[in-house]
Amino acid sequence: MGLAAVDRRSVATAPARAVAWLASLWWTLAWMALTAAILIHGQIAEEWSAVWLSVPFGGLFVNLLAALVVHERLRRQPGLLVFHLGLAAVALTAAGGRLTALTGSVEVTQGTLIEPALVDAKPAPLHPWRLDQVAFIQGAFRIDYDPNMQRRHTHSSVHVPGAGGRWETVEIGDDRPLKMFGYRFYTTPNKGFAVVLRHTDASGAGVTGAVHLPSYPLNEHNQSNTWQMPNGGPKLELWLHMPKPVHVEDAAWSFGLPEDAVLVVGVEGERHELKPGQELRIGRERVRYEDLRLWMGYQVFFDPSLPWLAAAALVACAGLAWHSVGKVRAISGDCDA
Amino acid sequence: MLETHALWAGMALYAAAALAAVGGALRGRPVWAVPQVLVGAALLVHAVAIGLRWQRLDHGPYVDMFEVLSSNVWSLHAAVLVGVLLLPRLRALLPAVLPMLQILVAWLLTQEVRDTQFPVTYDTVWLPVHVFLGKLFLGIIVVAVGGSIVIVLRRWGRPDGFGALPSTKLLDEINFRLVMLAFVFECLMLMAGAVWAQDAWGRYWNWDPLEIWSFLTWLAVAAYLHLRVTRRPPPEVSAFAILLIFVVAFGTFFGMPFVSTAPHKGMI
Repeated sequence: MGLAAVDRRSVATAPARAVAWLASLWWTLAWMALTAAILIHGQIAEEWSAVWLSVPFGGLFVNLLAALVVHERLRRQPGLLVFHLGLAAVALTAAGGRLTALTGSVEVTQGTLIEPALVDAKPAPLHPWRLDQVAFIQGAFRIDYDPNMQRRHTHSSVHVPGAGGRWETVEIGDDRPLKMFGYRFYTTPNKGFAVVLRHTDASGAGVTGAVHLPSYPLNEHNQSNTWQMPNGGPKLELWLHMPKPVHVEDAAWSFGLPEDAVLVVGVEGERHELKPGQELRIGRERVRYEDLRLWMGYQVFFDPSLPWLAAAALVACAGLAWHSVGKVRAISGDCDA
Repeated sequence: MLETHALWAGMALYAAAALAAVGGALRGRPVWAVPQVLVGAALLVHAVAIGLRWQRLDHGPYVDMFEVLSSNVWSLHAAVLVGVLLLPRLRALLPAVLPMLQILVAWLLTQEVRDTQFPVTYDTVWLPVHVFLGKLFLGIIVVAVGGSIVIVLRRWGRPDGFGALPSTKLLDEINFRLVMLAFVFECLMLMAGAVWAQDAWGRYWNWDPLEIWSFLTWLAVAAYLHLRVTRRPPPEVSAFAILLIFVVAFGTFFGMPFVSTAPHKGMI
């Protein structure tokens, strides 16, 4: 929005001159160029933060506000005005969303409750933490693969608290998230086998937990993990031996538990093979291999701005379309519109 | 077999249309109906090839470079044909635009034709919406590129050529309005893409390489429109700006999706 287009008689005062200066087209182009430079640098450097974009976006926002004050022509064209105000609303809404957002990931063992404390969360500074209110039980899930390891849709059943204290079952997937307290839980390709162990100490007190093996089939040759026994006990090396792999390279298959799998446990230089229900004595303590289950990895996403962002973007597009239609219709005429 | 024959026949008809348009312009006695009819016939035959492949693989032409090029060869020729049918005064753009599109045709013919599998992240209604809006954007830009080429040729090439077209000043104005219309579809395309990304990858915008370059394209168009509205640069400058927009958009459409390993490829 050029200074030349402004009636110079109306910008006599210093503040008015400042606003006109901020509304200059050259600022518009400069902020756009800076945005492009940051993005291209980010592409080349491969490590960058989108936070840097807040500088040119802030500049463009100020530039737009100043242009709205200075340029009567911009205010007189309703479509163009709606578009620019819509863009400003998109920028503000997106910024608000980014400041309150949360992204994260979590793995949930089949048949157990999600543990919010285990969510690897990256909350934004103003995120209203409600993750600890989230509760669902991971049910069964099915993932079919086409030949050549092409993953199809994930059908994951989860049980959520319903009316009257009952649990209700809902099916979710990669594109159908579970929504609770504003959080969205999307299934991911990250899933695998979970070894459920029960540890009983010398006093007879027991605790049951699951050790997740690496994602399958991505790490099909590395189905191992370690577990540190409590109270300064030894570290167990766990390896799932599968005589027959679950996946088939060149045919369709479904993800599920392997047949005849054996849990190989390495402890203090000794090797033990366990089937579900068998246990191992380590000193005065016992470790029982309860069973083998599946675990599902979820992507967690929280951004309350989504509907408002979509609405603002739609309004902006509608304004631009309104403005453009009249201009374009004139192409077939005399082009004076 | 019919699919392959239809594809080659379609490509041959596109090439014939380009030759007819250029030949007519060089002779100075263009009969614009000939290239228009040839493009129309090519679109029909090429559509048969695309349709047969779609039916056989049970998914649209979205996955690999061959499919993307094939669908864009079709949509860009369709955009040009619709453009000159709606705006007959632009028919003389055909000798400028059709040869340019033959580069895409040649590129398509160098591609390995193999069966593709449809990624699960592509299984959404937002994909065809996003792609359709993108094709509208690029198709309109291609028409404006034709106008820009004519402006440049008039200034530095054959000033006597393209006499049937509007004056350079009017062509510049038409280009500006076409780019403005394209901008509407580009905004809508980005919106539809964001909705798709939220469904497919659990985030609406993550600045992955394709998103960065689509935003750079958006910035380039926005910068041109601001410059054109407020400063009214000479038509030649505007023409070069539109050519630059096309280069960035072309790279975004045909380069980034196949260079980047970001989730946009959808092959997880």
